[in-house]
Amino acid sequence: MQGFPGGLPDLAHLQATMNAIEHACSLIQMHMNPAEAESVIASLHSSHMPYQTCRFIIETSKVPNARFQAAGAIGDAAIREWGILIDENKRSLIIFCLQYVMEHASAPDAYVQSKVSAVAARLLKRGWLEFPEAEKAAILFEVKQSILGNHGSGPQFVGINFVESLVSEFSPSTSSDLGLPREFHEQCQSFLEMNYLKEFYCWAQAALLSVSNKILEHPTSVPEEKVCSAALRLMFQILNWDFKHTANEPDNSHSRINTLTSGIRHDAVMLKKFDHSLVKPGPTWNDVLISSGHTSWLLNFYATLREKCSYDTLWIDSPIAVSARQLIVQLCSLAGAVFPSDNGETQIKHIALILSAIIQWIDPPDVISASIQSGQSESEFIDGCHALLSMASLTSAMLFDNLLTSVRPYGTIHVLSSLTSEVVKILTVNQDEEETWSADALDILLETWSVTLGQMDGDKTILPHDRVFAASSLFNTIVESHLKAAADSALDENDDTEYFHASVSKRDERLASYALIARAAADMTVPFLVRLFSERFSLLSQRISGNESTRTLEELYWLLLITGHVLTDSGEGETALVPEALQAGFLNVVEAVHHPVVALSWSIIQFSRQCLDTEMRSMYFSPRLMEAVIWFLARWVATYLLPLDTRKEQISTTYHDDGSQHESQFSRKILLTFAVEHNQVDFVLDSVVRISAATLTLYPGENELQALTCQKLLAALVRHKQISVRLLLLDSWRDLARAFANERALFSVNARIQRSLAETLVCAASFIKDSEASAQYLRDLLGPIVACLVDNSSRNDLKAVAQQADAIYMVSCLLERLRGAARATQPRTQKALFEMGHSMMNPLLTLLEAYKNQSAVVYLILKFVVDFVDGQVVYLGAKETTILINFCLRLLQIYSCNNIGKISLSLSTSLRSEAQVEKYKDLRALLQLLTNICSKDLVDFSSVGDDENTTDISEVIYVGLHIVTPLISLDLLKYPKLSRDYFALVSHMLEVYPEKVAQLNKDAFAHVIGTLDFGIQHQDIDVFEKCLSAVNALASYHFKQRSAGKEGLNAQTVESQGSNGKLQESITSHFLRLLMQLLLFEDFRMELAGSAADALLPLLLCEQDLYQRLVQELLERQPIPALKSRLASAFHSLTSSNQLSSSLNRPNRQRFRKNLHEFLVEVSGFMRIK
Amino acid sequence: MSDEEHHFESKADAGASKTYPQQAGTIRKNGYIVIKGRPCKVVEVSTSKTGKHGHAKCHFVGIDIFTSKKLEDIVPSSHNCDAPHVNRTDYQLIDISEDGFVSLLTENGNTKDDLRLPTDENLLTQIKDGFAEGKDLVVTVMSAMGEEQICALKDIGPK
Repeated sequence: MQGFPGGLPDLAHLQATMNAIEHACSLIQMHMNPAEAESVIASLHSSHMPYQTCRFIIETSKVPNARFQAAGAIGDAAIREWGILIDENKRSLIIFCLQYVMEHASAPDAYVQSKVSAVAARLLKRGWLEFPEAEKAAILFEVKQSILGNHGSGPQFVGINFVESLVSEFSPSTSSDLGLPREFHEQCQSFLEMNYLKEFYCWAQAALLSVSNKILEHPTSVPEEKVCSAALRLMFQILNWDFKHTANEPDNSHSRINTLTSGIRHDAVMLKKFDHSLVKPGPTWNDVLISSGHTSWLLNFYATLREKCSYDTLWIDSPIAVSARQLIVQLCSLAGAVFPSDNGETQIKHIALILSAIIQWIDPPDVISASIQSGQSESEFIDGCHALLSMASLTSAMLFDNLLTSVRPYGTIHVLSSLTSEVVKILTVNQDEEETWSADALDILLETWSVTLGQMDGDKTILPHDRVFAASSLFNTIVESHLKAAADSALDENDDTEYFHASVSKRDERLASYALIARAAADMTVPFLVRLFSERFSLLSQRISGNESTRTLEELYWLLLITGHVLTDSGEGETALVPEALQAGFLNVVEAVHHPVVALSWSIIQFSRQCLDTEMRSMYFSPRLMEAVIWFLARWVATYLLPLDTRKEQISTTYHDDGSQHESQFSRKILLTFAVEHNQVDFVLDSVVRISAATLTLYPGENELQALTCQKLLAALVRHKQISVRLLLLDSWRDLARAFANERALFSVNARIQRSLAETLVCAASFIKDSEASAQYLRDLLGPIVACLVDNSSRNDLKAVAQQADAIYMVSCLLERLRGAARATQPRTQKALFEMGHSMMNPLLTLLEAYKNQSAVVYLILKFVVDFVDGQVVYLGAKETTILINFCLRLLQIYSCNNIGKISLSLSTSLRSEAQVEKYKDLRALLQLLTNICSKDLVDFSSVGDDENTTDISEVIYVGLHIVTPLISLDLLKYPKLSRDYFALVSHMLEVYPEKVAQLNKDAFAHVIGTLDFGIQHQDIDVFEKCLSAVNALASYHFKQRSAGKEGLNAQTVESQGSNGKLQESITSHFLRLLMQLLLFEDFRMELAGSAADALLPLLLCEQDLYQRLVQELLERQPIPALKSRLASAFHSLTSSNQLSSSLNRPNRQRFRKNLHEFLVEVSGFMRIK
Repeated sequence: MSDEEHHFESKADAGASKTYPQQAGTIRKNGYIVIKGRPCKVVEVSTSKTGKHGHAKCHFVGIDIFTSKKLEDIVPSSHNCDAPHVNRTDYQLIDISEDGFVSLLTENGNTKDDLRLPTDENLLTQIKDGFAEGKDLVVTVMSAMGEEQICALKDIGPK
């Protein structure tokens, strides 16, 4: 072949190389000596001008793997040696590859052919911007000819395959490395999109047309099917392209009007969950995709083929069917300017057209699901669901429902409803089986419901009655199927708790979707729930027993869960509101007793109170059922007891007569106030507290239940003032507090749960207005606990007694309780809690010494101090601060004295690693302690501002750093939580006390700098940012010191890898190098440009000479003159534009931020290589 | 309220009882538990229910603190387990005898000579080398249920 690169070696040599490669390939396949074999192959890839050899192998070798490797070697070598190849060579390489695949189109081992074709695509992209237009056109013309079928079906397939590789090569996310700047890839991408993408699509269409008749006419399968599925795949791939040039996007103001009139939504945020995205190819694609009738042709083609192959159950999963359906689903997501601006008419027609075709895949649901269960493939059904979801997210609920009217007597929502019913039935029947298609389908369908119903909350369109009925009957089916499943599974000896925990969030997600459906038809579904609940409840009153009762309990369990989801939103971290759908519904209800939500709520609360009855509890209220009760009550109390709206206006009786304009909303008012009326609040609160006390004392060892009680239910009670105020007046609450303070019973609760309980009990104190009363409440609550610790720590025989297991347990419980109390510190309770903590300080130090060998207790003491400091430090005046700081200092000293230099000896690795985990946790606690102390510098609410004998916080930190740094290894910094804490502390230290850091001893300082290095190079974005601000602080300090004529950081040097091995360098120059390297060559995140600029500016100012040298070096290394001058001017404007001066004041930093940002935008295009 | 006050119940001479009953549900990871008569450190706790509406039970995985053997146990979480008294005492190392015993200085000035060196090569050399270099070493001896073992070592430096 003319122009083929490389001299022609003699035949014997070629033969020898080929044998070597073949041998290596066969070795790899047999997993023998792979390292050596790989090095043989790698040597071919990296050898100089291997083209003739590779060509010889590709053309003559009988080993497919060898041909595959040789093709890859051509690609790698050509990319590497691109500069020394002449144009002739490059072209001939591409043509050689293409000709080879065309000639061997029907050869076996298709992977070799596709590799060769991919190499051709890669090289064509590499030369894309330098080849003359005519040359590329000539190559592509040949490809087009074969795609159109002019050379037979083999080359036709090969041509399509080549275009597929080309498209994936040009798409940035799938392109292979070329060693070129990002700009190049972007140019190629945009060029292909503008000039060829649509053309490629047309070629694929033409190829499809050319073979379709033959496929449809032939009774059996023909080779053309391969071409057909490849063409469909290519079209799908092209529609997956990330289109950039979509002109004429309608702006948002227009789209709102459009939505109202036409029902097409332009706000659709698309389906991230199922990996689909909107396809917006822009107006130029209109002729190909829309006006040409392409879609209807495709749908007909699929339908005809489906008809033809209906005898073959495997056909649905054949490549041709799969790729056709993929393309159809993708066409559903078409949106934007590809449709003419005719108020959505064309798009609606387009969607309706597809729906009328795919409806066969999913309707009638029962017939289809039956055939799937008898062995038919489910993939068509799933694809149909995906298509529905795409349509739902592009249309309003009304439009979505009406889409089907031309082909069916019922609406789309009706179909959706019966589909979902069917899938739920199958899922609940086959719960234990490995079958997952129904679960997949259900997820998609529920998402479709959420998309359809979710938008209704916003524009408040009310569905017509039959659609509401569809939702309600679906919900009935859901509930009935699940109740049946619950009853059937009640007797399962189900021990796989692991599985259960993993699926809890999944289950909640699904229940929340069900709840959305229920709320859409609340007028029917809530009364339905009331009926079901009271039926089950009355069964219990009849004292049923045995298996029957277990089944009923399981049904009640499930009913509590679904009711909780229907009546309340999860409200995790937000204020729970009464769901709008429930407020807006029930228009004809005028009395609270008749309101279904009210009825449902009361009947569940009545039911819950039954657990206070000893007989009922022992018979029916199993821990599992109690968990559901507690969970329900927590959500219900937060939502309904004193809803936000009523909390704001004074709760009084005035709401009866506040005007008539709300008369239509009478039911809404009932819903918001029914608990307040007739003093039901106190009754409910009393019940809740008594139920909580019961779970804590009468369900020993049920940790999950008790955790739920303290952390969810009781925590919900003390969150709001109005509730807490009433709570504090209740006898039951006082009893609980008294039991907590004085009785042994609550010590048998897990210590961690005691902590949560203490937290809620103390939290309530902050709502007592009278400060003396509040302090008294706290003294009653915590006094006995503190007294006990104080007494015991002063015992003479402490050393002997302390090590007893029961003593350790007791101390741990007391410490956990104190920690809970410290975590609940509020401005109003801070003083009383500080007094408590103050009296604990010496005893704690004694205990720390006594328990130095009990790491669990040490850890608890540290954590208590961490939380105590966190809660207190910002409020403390000078005197208290001194007390606290001195205490911390002594604590640190004792800890370090007991722990530094200690080696744990242990026989087993698992015990040793346990010991390391304990060390790690201690260390984190210490870091948190130091950081919390530091926060005094940032926030200070102390009342008195007298500066007499203020303690130097920096002194503690300074000592602390000396203790902590030797313990922190680079390995430990790989733990994200620890490294975040550590760098937060270091950056704070450097910002606030640079002079202290400069005084650290040499080892400690070098260690800090070493960790900063590590943080800059390896860690996540938070850590990186903190390191940058630390470097900024360090360099700024140095610069200011030097400007003032002082030494700054010159005393501290750091060893760094310089150009000539190890050299002593100043810290600033070290970081300057590091940062420049990072900014220019590594994948730098633009959102950090600001922090990087802040760090870079002082470094530049400190090390002007070095900076100039570095810039020179960089410029000299850049071989291409055009880029060299761009780089030079970018560097120039970095330091000279915007009147940058050499100071560190704020405006100047701002200017430099701007400059650096522009610099990075300019430079990143050609400095970063892919 | 005096009888309800939370004083430690043990007396200084409570050594007679080697274990103490603790509710299974309150035993946490990193705590101690007796499994099959051996003192163990808990490295894993999981809870499950007996049947859907039954009571919780705890599944413990423990490691024998002396032999490092892994042991497992399942206990209803409301029942009591035995928790061993695990004591750790620091002694200064004064001598290593030829036959593999160490001589330790107790707090009241006596010596304690009945402890063997650890068997593990690695640990053994750490102690021996440190001692040979003339470092002042403090060893921590862990004892539980009548057994003793050296479990930690600390160099307190030349005085």
